[in-house]
Amino acid sequence: MAAPDRAVLETAVEAPERALDELGREPAAHHRDFVEKVCGTLPYADDWGLPGMLHGVVVRARLPSARIVSIDVRAARAVEGVHAVMTAADVPYNGILDEASGLGVDAIVQPVLAEDRVRYDGEPVALVAAETPQAALEAAALVDVDYEELPGVFEPEQALRDDAPAVHPGGNRYVTWRSSIGDVDAAMRSADLVVEETYRTQRVDHAYLEPEAGIGWIDSDGVLTLRVSTQVIEHAREVAEILRLPHSRVRVIASYMGGGFGGKEDMTVEPFIALLVWRTRRPVRMVWTRQESLLARHKRHPFTMRYRTGVRRDGTIVAQDVRIIGDAGAYPLLSSRVLFAAAVNATGPYRVADARVESVAVFTNTVPTSAFRGFGAMQVVFGYESQMDRIAQLLELDPAEVRRRNFVARGDLRVTGEALDTGVGVEECMRRALAELGPRPRPSRPGTRVGRGFACSMQPYGRSVFFADRASAWIGLEHDGTMVIRAGVTDLGAGQAASLADIAGEVLGVTADRTTVHIGDSALTPLTGGTFATRQLYMSGNAVLKVARALRAKLEAVAAALLECDPEALEFSDNRVRAGGRSITIGELARAAEHQGVMPYVHDTFEAETGEFDRETGRGRSFPDYTYGAHAADVEVDELTGQVRILAYVACHDVGRAIDMRRVEGQIQGAAAQGIGYALSEQVELVDGVASSTLFAEYLIPVSVDLPDIRAIGLELHPGKGPLGARGIGEPPIGPCAPALAAAIEDAVGVRLVQLPMTPERVQRALADTRARDERAGA
Amino acid sequence: MSAHEVALTVNGRPLRATVQANASLLELLRTHGGATEVKLGCGEGVCGTCTVLLDGEPVNSCLTFAVQVDGRSVTTVRGLAGPGELHPLQESFLRHGGAQCGFCTPGMLLTAKWYMDANPHADREQIRQALSGNLCRCTGYTKILDAIEEYRDRLPTGAGGQEASDGGA
Amino acid sequence: MYSSEPFDYARAGSWEEAVRLLEHGGEDARPIAGGQSLVPMMMLRLAAPSMLVDLCDAAERTVSVSGEELVLSALVRHADLESSEAVRDHCPMLAEAASQIGNVRVRRRGTIGGSLAHGEPTAELATVAVAQRAIVRTLGPAGERSIPAGELIVGHLTTCLEPAELITEVRIPISGSRQGSCFLEIARRAGDFALAEAAASVTLGDDGRCEAARVVVGAVSHRPLDVSEGAARLLGEVLTEPAIREVAAAVAAEVQIGPHTHASEEYRRTLTNVLVSRALWTAARRAMNGSGLP
Repeated sequence: MAAPDRAVLETAVEAPERALDELGREPAAHHRDFVEKVCGTLPYADDWGLPGMLHGVVVRARLPSARIVSIDVRAARAVEGVHAVMTAADVPYNGILDEASGLGVDAIVQPVLAEDRVRYDGEPVALVAAETPQAALEAAALVDVDYEELPGVFEPEQALRDDAPAVHPGGNRYVTWRSSIGDVDAAMRSADLVVEETYRTQRVDHAYLEPEAGIGWIDSDGVLTLRVSTQVIEHAREVAEILRLPHSRVRVIASYMGGGFGGKEDMTVEPFIALLVWRTRRPVRMVWTRQESLLARHKRHPFTMRYRTGVRRDGTIVAQDVRIIGDAGAYPLLSSRVLFAAAVNATGPYRVADARVESVAVFTNTVPTSAFRGFGAMQVVFGYESQMDRIAQLLELDPAEVRRRNFVARGDLRVTGEALDTGVGVEECMRRALAELGPRPRPSRPGTRVGRGFACSMQPYGRSVFFADRASAWIGLEHDGTMVIRAGVTDLGAGQAASLADIAGEVLGVTADRTTVHIGDSALTPLTGGTFATRQLYMSGNAVLKVARALRAKLEAVAAALLECDPEALEFSDNRVRAGGRSITIGELARAAEHQGVMPYVHDTFEAETGEFDRETGRGRSFPDYTYGAHAADVEVDELTGQVRILAYVACHDVGRAIDMRRVEGQIQGAAAQGIGYALSEQVELVDGVASSTLFAEYLIPVSVDLPDIRAIGLELHPGKGPLGARGIGEPPIGPCAPALAAAIEDAVGVRLVQLPMTPERVQRALADTRARDERAGA
Repeated sequence: MSAHEVALTVNGRPLRATVQANASLLELLRTHGGATEVKLGCGEGVCGTCTVLLDGEPVNSCLTFAVQVDGRSVTTVRGLAGPGELHPLQESFLRHGGAQCGFCTPGMLLTAKWYMDANPHADREQIRQALSGNLCRCTGYTKILDAIEEYRDRLPTGAGGQEASDGGA
Repeated sequence: MYSSEPFDYARAGSWEEAVRLLEHGGEDARPIAGGQSLVPMMMLRLAAPSMLVDLCDAAERTVSVSGEELVLSALVRHADLESSEAVRDHCPMLAEAASQIGNVRVRRRGTIGGSLAHGEPTAELATVAVAQRAIVRTLGPAGERSIPAGELIVGHLTTCLEPAELITEVRIPISGSRQGSCFLEIARRAGDFALAEAAASVTLGDDGRCEAARVVVGAVSHRPLDVSEGAARLLGEVLTEPAIREVAAAVAAEVQIGPHTHASEEYRRTLTNVLVSRALWTAARRAMNGSGLP
């Protein structure tokens, strides 16, 4: 394993002022992809067609647990215009190998098409390709599957019992993570107060606006090519395995996504399109309906979190004991990693010398759960922040003071035994978030009460270090001085591609309007790993920075000779290279270099820091770094209906260095909006494993009037490990929302909810229960 | 079931097609008209990504049948400005980061344009109300509102800006 | 991929022609106006008419006053109810309710006739029509008739309209100057189907006491529920908030609440209580102010 790229990190840390200067000016022009978006000309996955294209449809089981007795496709195949109807028997290798944690957790093979068992409502059982969408739907309805319904288990606590129906032969307990430090039992006994509570979070959907979609075809080199809305082009390998094709014969091109958030991190349409293309040798298009997506595409893990926190009278934490049960649904996907992230982040940004955490991923006969912005480390924020408020309340201390007495600092050890090795800015974020709210507002009408709350958090960015994460990039200069970047990133809409242009542009002096970024093509762009885990800026940003610096170093010798100066005197900016009053264009430099045999391009790889983690002891390196933050909110609660209106909301995070502050703000606001939906209204409701609704109308993401203006504050306090000291910001702002709002609601009306979402009905019921209790007590 | 000939104008250009009665306007625009800027997000009329202006009024193109709009005029986001040009509202969106993934953006722009044309003095909360049928999952709406307010404030004197008014029709 | 089942399509140039086309089209032929109620169901394959008769050219979308009645063409759109001065002056509850329907696109397209004919339990205009004692005028194969709004909806998504019978007009008694009204609803999210609705109106006598009171609860059952009897104790009295709260509590305790996937009966009963109370008190204050609206 190569050592981390110290040169990159050192430069960022040593010269923060210079970095800030370099980043001080606005990007010269708007990046092309954003211009295309406002013009409507950006082609998303379904905005492409090919001659002879067929339409593909997935046929899904509508029982949560069943045995497949037989499948008869004859009637389906007979529909006019149908080119293929496929079942499990037609899949060369019918398995999506859940690669699990990377730490030797047993893999469970998830079928691409269910063979003899159905394990969740919506599981794919057949595929159809036809000349028109109508014919495909007609044929899909005619696929005749004979099911024998089986008992199922739908709640993780039930699934852990010995007599529960087994979702998989190996039992329902998929993976358990344990970490501990010190002697938590002894420390708990020594505590002045032990606060214990169980917190429950719900199943939610990513609800991006662009449904799952793509098109596949076989190109003139016989390469099966997929152009899909995906966060991970590396799935090309899995597709190849499924079709038993050489990896070099499969290519995945990622279109710009209309949202991802982790919902397009596992494969969605890829294997199905690929199978139909290979079977029919025709281009095949597939778009999922919204209802299909709500039914069957993976969701966020519901968590049950039992927290026991021991504290001294002054509010300092002496012991933390956390047990988390996560509902993995019917198949693992990324469950082992999500529960890992939950475990190692369960104690939050608070010092604790004696702690024990345990997280369990449990199978149930429900729609599988996997990655979603926050990835396990966001659910636990609700747990640890609610605990802090409870502690403050019971000890009659100011909740902010209780945090201050416990915040971690650089050098402190996590429950895994690793030390935090970057600066911790959470206290300043908390102070700033609360200050920004200003004076408390008054209720806007009778029958309502106003309250204020806040929450702090830490969220990892970058993948677990034991993964040996890496990202590659290629940068080259054309003869006219324009710059081409090739990096296999996928763009979720957060400006992933644009950021790379900005970073390279700062180093090589080429402006954004003279830069083209090619992204997301497994055949033509160096692989960077997928866009998830808030890793893309950290990984591909650092890769581009490394490659840009290497290219510059290569060209400096040539430029110095041309300008007759020392290389250190060279300045690259505004598409020219200058020194001592003389200058040449970047284009002239590129041509001169090539003429001398110094090729004006570089391809290289950034290796993230690595570390070991011992599954047995639960000790070692987990994540490379964290982003700290705090949110604060004022709410108005209707005492009779339980409706919660957010009057003001501030979200403050230490982002290290902002490559583009407006983009950082946009990420903070967007993630906070999702966090608010998670806190107050979103829920995928299942009754005995069956969705009560698959209508988008009934999946309540916030609309404009549900949200106040979210005041996003990106502070640049302590450099992180991203390029030029940046810290990831995609995920962190989704975590603090629920506990901040829970605290605000309690401040307003005196009830504390420990289950999400905090719907009006739940708030009202808590209020009514409290009133009834008070009446009984008072009477 | 018989086929119907429909003729409409899309962004000022004629579009003629022969369709089944159950073809949606969305399908007509995307498939026959090449107007892939009109998106499909939910098929229920909830998300607003399929919004087009029909004779100047915002409608769900996914819930309108092509046969219903024979002889009518449709404006999509591409009708806001000429090819390669930007409407001031689009420029405001770019300046303020009003688009992230961009999927809601066409519908959002058309709704905003329609509303501001009719209510050039609308305040922020009125604009927020007007957009309540256009869902966005990326931005949290704040920068979208910033962009539209800037657009309003840059409208020619008298047409817009934050003057005291009743703010709307 | 979304498409409805195939159907035949025809446009009617008049109400008469529409009725003829529907008759000819058979029992699965349906009229379409704004399409905001019917088309989503068709796209989700929950409804499959064999024929659609398009009413958009069947008549002018007129709003007028005739004697003591506000006369609305069935094709008047929700947005027009919201903005029409005549509606705001003569039936302010209708304008107030129309502004709370769905989102801008639904309001620009949806029509009062379409909304009433669909029989949707949460339709705001149905609740208002019952509260305002509206008369629904229809044209069918058997001729014209007038249906009191309270008799229109008979079951879940079912009206008393005969096959090929169309709503052509809605007539509403004009609100008096000493009348105040209020329409309120609560949904889980803005623009969503309501969990509960309350439409209240009060009329004050010269002595400032309550002369008449009407309360209708919507969305909790398959049809709007006229619970005005529950407000009888207010007649002849000066309206006070405590008295109104008592009425609301009594109404909420008695009212039949149907099942709902996303809200318990108990919660909807609580909402009914709150909405009736708030709607009645707001109506009372508006009546006292002497204007239709604050």
